Amino acid sequence: MLRVALLIAIFVSADVRAAETTNPADPPSVDAAGPLAGEPRVPLGDVAGDHGGLVPVVPNPADARTGAINRGKQLFVRMNCAGCHGYDAKGGMGPDLTDRYWRYGGSPVAIYESIIEGRPQGMPSWSAAIPSEEVWDIVTYIESFGGASPAQDEHAQREGDEPGELTAPEVEGKP
Amino acid sequence: MMTRALPGWTACAAAVALSLGGVASARAGTGATASFAPGDPPGEWRRQARDYANTRFSPLDQIKKDNVGHLRVAWTFSDGAAYGHEGAPLVEGDTMYVVTPFPNIAYALDLSKPGSPIKWTYKPDPTPMAVGKACCDAVLRGWALANGKLIYNILDGHTVAVDVKTGKEAWRIKMSNVSSGATMTMPVMVVGDKVYAGNSGGELGAHGWLAALDVNSGHELWRAYSTGSDADAKIGPDFKPFYPWLVGKDLGVSTWPADAWRHGGGAVWGWISYDPELNLMYYGTSNPSPRVPAQRPGLNLWTSAMFARDADSGMAKWAFQFTPHDQWDYDGVNENILIDAPFGGRMRKVLVQLNRNGFGYTIDRETGEVLVAKPFGNLNWATGVDMATGQPIVNPAMQPQPEIKLDNVCPTDVGDKDWEPGAFSPQTGLIYAGIFNICMDVTDHPQSYIAGTPYDGMEMQRHAGPGGNWGEFIAWDPVKGEKVWSIKEKFMTMSGALATAGGVVFYGTVDGWFRAVDAQTGDILWSQKLGSGVIAQPMTYLGPDGRQYVAIYTGVGGAATISSAMPGYPPRGSTLYVFSIDGDSVASGPGMKETDAAAPAPSGDTAQPKK
Repeated sequence: MLRVALLIAIFVSADVRAAETTNPADPPSVDAAGPLAGEPRVPLGDVAGDHGGLVPVVPNPADARTGAINRGKQLFVRMNCAGCHGYDAKGGMGPDLTDRYWRYGGSPVAIYESIIEGRPQGMPSWSAAIPSEEVWDIVTYIESFGGASPAQDEHAQREGDEPGELTAPEVEGKP
Repeated sequence: MMTRALPGWTACAAAVALSLGGVASARAGTGATASFAPGDPPGEWRRQARDYANTRFSPLDQIKKDNVGHLRVAWTFSDGAAYGHEGAPLVEGDTMYVVTPFPNIAYALDLSKPGSPIKWTYKPDPTPMAVGKACCDAVLRGWALANGKLIYNILDGHTVAVDVKTGKEAWRIKMSNVSSGATMTMPVMVVGDKVYAGNSGGELGAHGWLAALDVNSGHELWRAYSTGSDADAKIGPDFKPFYPWLVGKDLGVSTWPADAWRHGGGAVWGWISYDPELNLMYYGTSNPSPRVPAQRPGLNLWTSAMFARDADSGMAKWAFQFTPHDQWDYDGVNENILIDAPFGGRMRKVLVQLNRNGFGYTIDRETGEVLVAKPFGNLNWATGVDMATGQPIVNPAMQPQPEIKLDNVCPTDVGDKDWEPGAFSPQTGLIYAGIFNICMDVTDHPQSYIAGTPYDGMEMQRHAGPGGNWGEFIAWDPVKGEKVWSIKEKFMTMSGALATAGGVVFYGTVDGWFRAVDAQTGDILWSQKLGSGVIAQPMTYLGPDGRQYVAIYTGVGGAATISSAMPGYPPRGSTLYVFSIDGDSVASGPGMKETDAAAPAPSGDTAQPKK
């Protein structure tokens, strides 16, 4: 029951956030009520049942700000991200952030959540240490490597779909 | 030159003398010899280095120069663990014991049955968080057998003892907080009733320590830190370092900026040696943290150093710092091989360490006096060692400065030799070891300490040194301080070495070759390509069938990952290979078709029931 309730909360939250962020010039204010409250959320795994194509699309609000990549790069070194993921971000103690393989999702909001929440194999939660705007700057820097997926492609990436690949008729519902 | 021979050594010496016409007593080669205490049965291998002295010498001689070319696979065992395999299997009686890298599952294998089926499995279920706190892959460098227990460290900062008969946990103790960045990867060493264990985490600002646990209960008896006050470091009135610059009150505090020693590294992640006559134990300490020297002016004692301690009380007897104010990540944790060697017309009790900094040290192990310090590999960070002080003469051009790229510093952070342990043969008096030939372009980035994250700051591009080969396997004369022969390897040579009374030395390479070479000449007598790279330690044992076997784990990873961009770098693996002459074993012979009811190997989801 708890799980179901959480999932609903996640979707409601994400949906609201997606609606709020349709105008990139108007990025969401994210940390008004504490580090995790009101954050855009996507589920970590796939979604059970018929979810009617409800896939949250949450763009990176930092995209609209100038200098986000440079600020993110500085934070990447200063907050010791480089120590684990490498100064070239190609991996070390932690995973490669330049390739297209994302254990916990490669969309901007999925990367954001991994930084904020931490992940089980040693990635700490940075919710208390880095303000949300700065986390989005780090996400922007990571997106600049080219391996992350655009926000709207989150579902496709989780399916393992590559841009430009063929699609079998069965998948398109045309047997 | 056996001084006060121990019972076990007598047996070993007899075996060697019988088969080789008294070579052991002849003190061939350099004149160096060793004690092989505690004198385990010749066919067994109960600790990673086999003996307290860390010789990795086996008295077995069925496999020798003229038949080693007939080595073939007798049987294999794959444990399925994904990380670097660095340990050697242990054998006591008719059972072999192996422990995987994370998740650190232990297996007992029945050597008396065809195919060596699993007798029992023990699964400690470490937290996956530990994988991301280990600087250099989720490895384990070994385990130990003592008092009817298999004892080892778990990556997430625990030490466990498992009953060898039942596979049930005898005790388990939490030694550190993994969330703070302290992991455990070193092989414990057991002497008498004490288990010695140390931590890893010099790249995450860990406060390094070595602890002694009671072998029967697991209770901690004492803990000696590598930085901090004399009380923290267990330095008291008996502490008598050889060099005056190592004498003073609370040097583990005063050789640092204020409070920097608290996250100053000095982790104890390598090898422990023990001299039963002196009752002293020896071990080295890791690099200082952070790896940016500009942030920690001072000698940074007792990091990149070594201690000699009373094996019972843990009180320091002497210490020596190989790399004062280490600026390049030259840990001092490599194995100290205890030998007796002729200096100035008399035999002296010495230890030999091929240090990461590229100098091969021979040190009087009673006093801490450096007798030999000569380069065994390529280096340019220093021009030599001042024998009056034991201190390196640093090349000022090779000192990294913050945010300035410094090209072609040799060796790299993994050194001219890493933890991969060498071997000593009393037949030649030589040390055998895999070494590296790698240099780096380095840029230091000053760091802030954030618990549980790297406290590191070295950005590096690494490349081969002169000649283009990344690896080399050498024979080292510890008396003269010079190479006797060497075999260049294209890939890193990051396996341990094994020396045997058959006059053969074994080692492996990161691209997956396992070789046997002539201990005298360095001629390669046999090579076999294995499934993954070799970064583990070869060992040899006598099976219940009376045959001599040689075993080596494959499974590349660990620090060898720095070479993973090289074409031909192999994928990971997890297979133990066991060789014998012609591949003969208890399963040999036409028509062999026997299946034993073995305990099932656990899959990722089937946990062993908890007690």
